[in-house]
Amino acid sequence: MTHRRDFLKAAAFGAGAMLFPAAAGRAFAATAPAAGRFPTRFIFMHKGNGLFPSAMVPPSLSAEDKAREQRKEPFQVDLARHELPAWMSVLNAHKQHLTLLQGLSGKMCTTGHHTWQSSLGVYAATERLSSVKWATVDFELAKLFPSPLDHIELACFPSDGGNARGNIEGIERGFSARGPQQPNYAFGSPKVAIDELFKAVSRNDADRVRYQLERKVLEFTAANQAAQADGLAAGLERAKVQNYADAMQDIRRRNGQLEAMSDVIAKHVPVLDRKYLADDLTTVDRQVGHTEVLLSALISGMTNVVTFTVDELGTPYTGVPGMETEKINLHDVGHGKAVGLIKAEDVREAVRRRHAALIDTIVRRLKAVPEGDGTLFDNTVLFYFPDNGETHHSTGVEWPFVVLSGRNAKLDIAGRYVRLPYWGKEGHKTLGNWYTTILNAYGNPINHYGDLDLGLNKFVATQTGPIRQFMA
Amino acid sequence: MAPYNRLVLLAVLALAGPATAAPTPAPTPDVPAPVRAVLGAYCTDCHGHAKAKGQVRLDALPSLDAKVRLDLLNKLQEQVHFAAMPPEDERQPSPAERQVLADWVRGELVAAGAPLIEDKLRYPDYGNVVDHDRLFSGAVTDAPFTPARRWLVSPAIFKERVIDVFGLTGRPRDAFSVNGAAFYGVTNPFVLPDRSGIRDYAITPLDGGHLLVMLTNAQWISHKQIRAARVKKGEIKADFFENKADRFSPPTPAAFEAIILAPAKPTDAALVAAIQAQFDCVLRRPADPAEQAKYLALTRAAIDLAGNTEGLRQMLVAVLLESEFLYRLEFGAGPADVAGRRMLAPREAAYAISYALGDRGPDPVLAKAAADSRLNTKEDYRREVTRLLADPTYYSGRIDTTINNSDIVPHPRLVRFFREFFGYPSALKVFKDKNRSGGYYDNPGRGSSATPGHLIREADRVVAFHVQQDKDVFLNLLTTDRYFMYHNVDNEKGARIVAGWKELYETLKDTDWRNNPEKVEAEHPDLLKKYGIEPLSRRKGGHANTLPKVMEHFSYTFGKGNTPFTTLPWVHGYQFRHSQSYSLPATPGANGKYGGDDNLNYPVVQPFKIADRKGILTHPAWLIAHSSNFHTDPIRRGRLIREKLLAGRVPDVPITVDAKVPDDPHRTFRERVEAVTGPAQAACWKCHEHMNPVGYPFEVYDDFGRYRKDEPLEYPENLVAPAKGKYDADTYKTRPVSTAGDLRGTGDPKLDGPVADPLEMIDRLARSTRVRQSIVRHAFRFYMGRNEMLSDSRTLIEADKAYVDSGGSFKALVLSLLTSDSFMYRK
Repeated sequence: MTHRRDFLKAAAFGAGAMLFPAAAGRAFAATAPAAGRFPTRFIFMHKGNGLFPSAMVPPSLSAEDKAREQRKEPFQVDLARHELPAWMSVLNAHKQHLTLLQGLSGKMCTTGHHTWQSSLGVYAATERLSSVKWATVDFELAKLFPSPLDHIELACFPSDGGNARGNIEGIERGFSARGPQQPNYAFGSPKVAIDELFKAVSRNDADRVRYQLERKVLEFTAANQAAQADGLAAGLERAKVQNYADAMQDIRRRNGQLEAMSDVIAKHVPVLDRKYLADDLTTVDRQVGHTEVLLSALISGMTNVVTFTVDELGTPYTGVPGMETEKINLHDVGHGKAVGLIKAEDVREAVRRRHAALIDTIVRRLKAVPEGDGTLFDNTVLFYFPDNGETHHSTGVEWPFVVLSGRNAKLDIAGRYVRLPYWGKEGHKTLGNWYTTILNAYGNPINHYGDLDLGLNKFVATQTGPIRQFMA
Repeated sequence: MAPYNRLVLLAVLALAGPATAAPTPAPTPDVPAPVRAVLGAYCTDCHGHAKAKGQVRLDALPSLDAKVRLDLLNKLQEQVHFAAMPPEDERQPSPAERQVLADWVRGELVAAGAPLIEDKLRYPDYGNVVDHDRLFSGAVTDAPFTPARRWLVSPAIFKERVIDVFGLTGRPRDAFSVNGAAFYGVTNPFVLPDRSGIRDYAITPLDGGHLLVMLTNAQWISHKQIRAARVKKGEIKADFFENKADRFSPPTPAAFEAIILAPAKPTDAALVAAIQAQFDCVLRRPADPAEQAKYLALTRAAIDLAGNTEGLRQMLVAVLLESEFLYRLEFGAGPADVAGRRMLAPREAAYAISYALGDRGPDPVLAKAAADSRLNTKEDYRREVTRLLADPTYYSGRIDTTINNSDIVPHPRLVRFFREFFGYPSALKVFKDKNRSGGYYDNPGRGSSATPGHLIREADRVVAFHVQQDKDVFLNLLTTDRYFMYHNVDNEKGARIVAGWKELYETLKDTDWRNNPEKVEAEHPDLLKKYGIEPLSRRKGGHANTLPKVMEHFSYTFGKGNTPFTTLPWVHGYQFRHSQSYSLPATPGANGKYGGDDNLNYPVVQPFKIADRKGILTHPAWLIAHSSNFHTDPIRRGRLIREKLLAGRVPDVPITVDAKVPDDPHRTFRERVEAVTGPAQAACWKCHEHMNPVGYPFEVYDDFGRYRKDEPLEYPENLVAPAKGKYDADTYKTRPVSTAGDLRGTGDPKLDGPVADPLEMIDRLARSTRVRQSIVRHAFRFYMGRNEMLSDSRTLIEADKAYVDSGGSFKALVLSLLTSDSFMYRK
């Protein structure tokens, strides 16, 4: 039985001291482009079981602001003058880059236990492919900042319910979507992610053979299809085969790009202790391993966009400091059930602390990578948010976001706690407005991204378009 | 606040293109003199320096940027092709002058490698471009044919092909084919377009998205293909599964097993056997010598690199990635006839017939007919199609696997034609504000296609019923007043259930079941046991049938002289509460409470008559499918009737038009639409007159499909009473709806004229020859996978005749199409 006192002690240590034994002390040095602009990197890190709006509020707010917060009235404060909530105190060093954004809603999304692509696509996604209406926002951003792999998705999959059913170690249907009815695939474990992403530079014989086999088959099929197309007259009938052959050549070209980057990639292959690559790793170790993969993928330039499901409601939670012996059922926690003698709220807080520690790691490490006259973090935006809104059985009435954005970010939000007008109030903003803001800021002029909230229409004049006040 | 009522409206079909600020340039050699003459005589008065109507100038062509110029030429080609310009009331060029312009524009576009109008004409939206009267005139004597082609398999055919790869038969096959099981590691790479109309055309090429999905699919499928042999070899244990949720374990073909179990590198003969086996599994044909040699080299190299098992698997993957796996091949074979046509090869014919009638490849009899070269004449085709249409089992399957509990019917494809033609399955894509329905309408969500799913299934049943009857099918589907609702057990079973409940109710209604149920339980143990009533002492959860619950329900149904629905409202997952979409009273107990207007008198025997409805066009599924989130959609409804039932054509929405229906708290939606598209807006009306007057009569139904006389004016200033409960609707002031419409320019004088309401309009349409022929044209598209050409005239006339001569048999129509030259010949 885990006791609350032991737990709190361990949690306090864990929050400030996230260790990466293998990677510690390794100096990453990304190869900066010779000239020109640097791409913006985006990290979408989402969690299950809701994120309580109350957990986002700086405890040092004035009585007046506290009252506003209670009444969900719009206001904003400078974070430099405030304490952060305890669970994110590890982010103190990044306050000038931090935004705590409250008041968004997502009632057009599937909410509640499992939400599939909803939080990234702003529509009611379910397990049915037909519910995936369009590319999720992370894929839209990946189009704006192309890279050899475009987009990488990592996930601590659920083992019960939700997207994947059972194979949390594999490559399974993820929480992002490439396009209509095209859910993305995510890497479930650090091992499978490293095997797949870094196979071209693997030193392992079996991996090298596997990579050669894949190359051989692709070369064969591309030539095979191209030969079939060669025999056809130009026009639609030829395109029916030629496009397929061309797509194979595109993958070969992409592989070629990665091979050309092999020196850089080889430098950044995540070096992880064996425990992070094991089949029975804890959830916390899985998160740590995924974080290393995320950093390597971004720093090496393989991709500019990573989506990371840090947990989902059905993720079996193990390894939480102070509760190492427990297999935490997030669903039970969502229903207020204690773990041993530890109250549900404290378990939630511990989970969030782990997430904050991961965020801190990511930011610190990106700040350590030189890029241009600054660091890679200058060109990075990280979003941390719930996949289902404000609580366990959410309705999407609130959708809190933690954002960390570098100095070159095109969003005018850093260093602030912002509460937007509440749902149903004039000026209220939805997830759709928020993603429209981000897309507009980075070059996609879309009028509005996402579905509309049918119930909101009678309260607001319009619910389309960006949040003007956030546009830099 | 204003409801979100953005709606794209049609305005004048303009030659939308950029205007240039430059002064009129002098004519240049870039535009030949004859072309300049035509443009000058008929176009540049309006589209020149002085007016530049629609921001288009045709006098500035030479000075335009290349991309802009091509864009403009593209639009110009469309205008010339459809003779859409000059406007009717302007002087018209002669056919020869039009030809001069058309030839020049075409030449410019070909030289630039730009898309041509011919490319567009392949698309469903251009189906009605071929002149209807000419098509059915009998004057066209061209030999019908279909262009030689690859046709991307449908999502349903793809799934069947994967089932075939694993060689599944009997119950294991049914689990996937009929009962909805999915292969864990296979994602269907294909999606039919979201549109109301025929969707599966042979015009889609494979692309990178398909490839990405197939790369993953091929890995999973190949691993499964060899799993059993690996277990046999001892490489993995029989009970070991990397993914506990994925325990599929099909047999491994013997030729693969031989290689996996071989102690040494396999012989060429063994490899060839494996290659042929995989070709048979995946492509259902042998590899030819050249293919065999290529694959042998690949497999040998892969085995040298990675050993027998993994090397073999690479070959399996490579065959799975053949584009042929994803296409239907229809090239024709043998000598060409005098018209240059070749008949489908027997094997091609077998697949073409089978995929026309179902999702599976040929049955053994059809496959044997192909192998024995007995698919070479019209009579051969007729024999096989007739046999398969009479076979209730081979193609038996669910109408639609994407909605919950879709019915299993003998020939789902026959029903699917009508659901695509009418387009009612799109109801699944329209989300509604639950409160506006008064709380009964559930949007699709996790694991449930919810209210629209039920309505679509109920519309499917109407279609399946008439397809099964096979008499005057079009007329009945357009005019029937008999529908299915709920109906989750057949008529006989429903009658038995209700009779039993009635006995229970009549026996106990005068007892003290409300205050002293235990006593009643003790007095009637056998009766309660007979009807599955749980003793209160043993009740578990809220879903159990207990005496007080059952009797209360019956007192609100039988007690009021009504019949209860045959499923009790507290059963787990109960969702039957949408009777209001048929304008019937609410379903007692459906929302967990009784009282109010929940007086549904459930019709056990179905189909049953519903007032104020006529056919599928007034079915709630159709009405919702052709509505927006908040409103009806008279423009789109009118357009669909114009295009689908009248073989008419409404020009594309000009890209410059993005109009909104104005807000006005004092007017109905029709009135607001009329304000921006009606006769007062001459430019808009030019196109909208073909749509709005045909769509307006349906305003007698709201956007949930409910019949109404008055329309609530849903603006805050009109609020009469706010909603009482969480899911109740606000009450607003209302205004009478106008249902008057007008059929004009239909091409059939008997049809033209004003209509008072949708029922009158539908009645007139349903008896029209033109409407019947229009449906025949759409059936042609469904079964041929393409738009009709003028050369298909004979096929269409014969199909129409077959339908009429058979007393309106849809199967006779299908038989005619599948034995037509259009189906049998390729060129």
